Amino acid sequence: MQKLGEFKLPPFFNYPPYFTLQPVRDTRDKQIQLWKDLILDYCKTQKVFVIGLEEEFPLFSNPVIERSLTHEARETFLSVLVVEGRAEWMDKFHRKCLILWHRIEEWAEILVQFARDNGLEDGVVTIEEIRFGTESQGTELQGIDRTILNRALKILEQKGKLVVFKGTSTDDEGVKFSL
Amino acid sequence: MRRRPGIGGLQTAAAARDQYRLLGENVAKIKTDLMKEQLATFRSQLEDFARKHKNDIRKNPAFRSQFHEMCAKVGVDPLASNKGFWAELLGIGDFYYELGVQIVDICLATRPHNGGLINLQELCHLLRQRRKSDRGVVSKDDCLRAIGKLKVLGSGFEVISVAKRKLVRSVPTELNKDHNEILELAQAQGYVTVEEVERRLSWTSGRAIDALDTLLDEGLAMIDDGHQDGKRRYWFPCVSPISSSIGVDS
Repeated sequence: MQKLGEFKLPPFFNYPPYFTLQPVRDTRDKQIQLWKDLILDYCKTQKVFVIGLEEEFPLFSNPVIERSLTHEARETFLSVLVVEGRAEWMDKFHRKCLILWHRIEEWAEILVQFARDNGLEDGVVTIEEIRFGTESQGTELQGIDRTILNRALKILEQKGKLVVFKGTSTDDEGVKFSL
Repeated sequence: MRRRPGIGGLQTAAAARDQYRLLGENVAKIKTDLMKEQLATFRSQLEDFARKHKNDIRKNPAFRSQFHEMCAKVGVDPLASNKGFWAELLGIGDFYYELGVQIVDICLATRPHNGGLINLQELCHLLRQRRKSDRGVVSKDDCLRAIGKLKVLGSGFEVISVAKRKLVRSVPTELNKDHNEILELAQAQGYVTVEEVERRLSWTSGRAIDALDTLLDEGLAMIDDGHQDGKRRYWFPCVSPISSSIGVDS
């Protein structure tokens, strides 16, 4: 079994035709399904939040069988994820894609749980601490993408569960929970 | 001597006919009894044999296959019914029904990948992995027998031979000779190109493309435009060794 670091690649990754968009619908549906699962799975375990379509990405080519996905194929797979709410285009040219293995609402839930677990129901925490602090170490929040975090915070802010306050620089932006 | 007509003559003739009939019936009865007796002996011997070699039949695939052959020669089908002494004695019916269910399962699970055509060898391999408890006890012969039993379902399970390999078909696709020849050609590398088909089979390009398109539509082939020579390759998951790892954690 081929591996990317610690990540185990599925068998289809070694089968050349999976790197060409299939013309027959049923076959293509199956192909898309496999790629979708692979991309989400990989991003989740490797904590990849953004995929650049024109940049190097380990899943987009397989040197062992000398195949790589065309731009069209990359865009097709990611578009399906976008349709299913598992990804979002970050620009109108579809050059960058934000991967949401958890939907934004789910991230918001995770944040609330994080606050409860750390006794922060009425507490204050900085954005930096959420992303890289000792409390978040080993949790899913560790290293969370800034865009995703902001969107999750916004949802909670609208529900009145917290207030985001700005400091003098972006470094000391913080959150006051009121759960 | 000429018989004279009269009531006496007619009665004699009728009596003679009755006699003949009685005699005939007797002979037939004796023959049937003899047959019955022989069958009973045979049956009890076969039972004795089966009882004696019960474990061998259950555990040894080669022995099982020979036992089946012997039964077939004398016109007994141990799988014909799940009731009766064979089932009670050997549980052999259950064994094949179980295999049958598992085969259907595997065929369905791999269908999206191979379009409903699977290599017998791969099927056996997956079957053995599924039956971890008695790994290695299921032979190809057992697979073929179980598939044979699936035919009564009318769901189009069929074994087709392509070159030396056997493929199990679980979709009602009609493969013609052209398709078979392409599959045979593909066994070498797992794929073919249009050029190769034309050259090796001396076909016109129309014929080659037509056959390949059908195989694509049926989900039995996949295209690959990624090779550096720029020539489109047609891959066949049902003949590629790599497909044996699909859905299986090694």
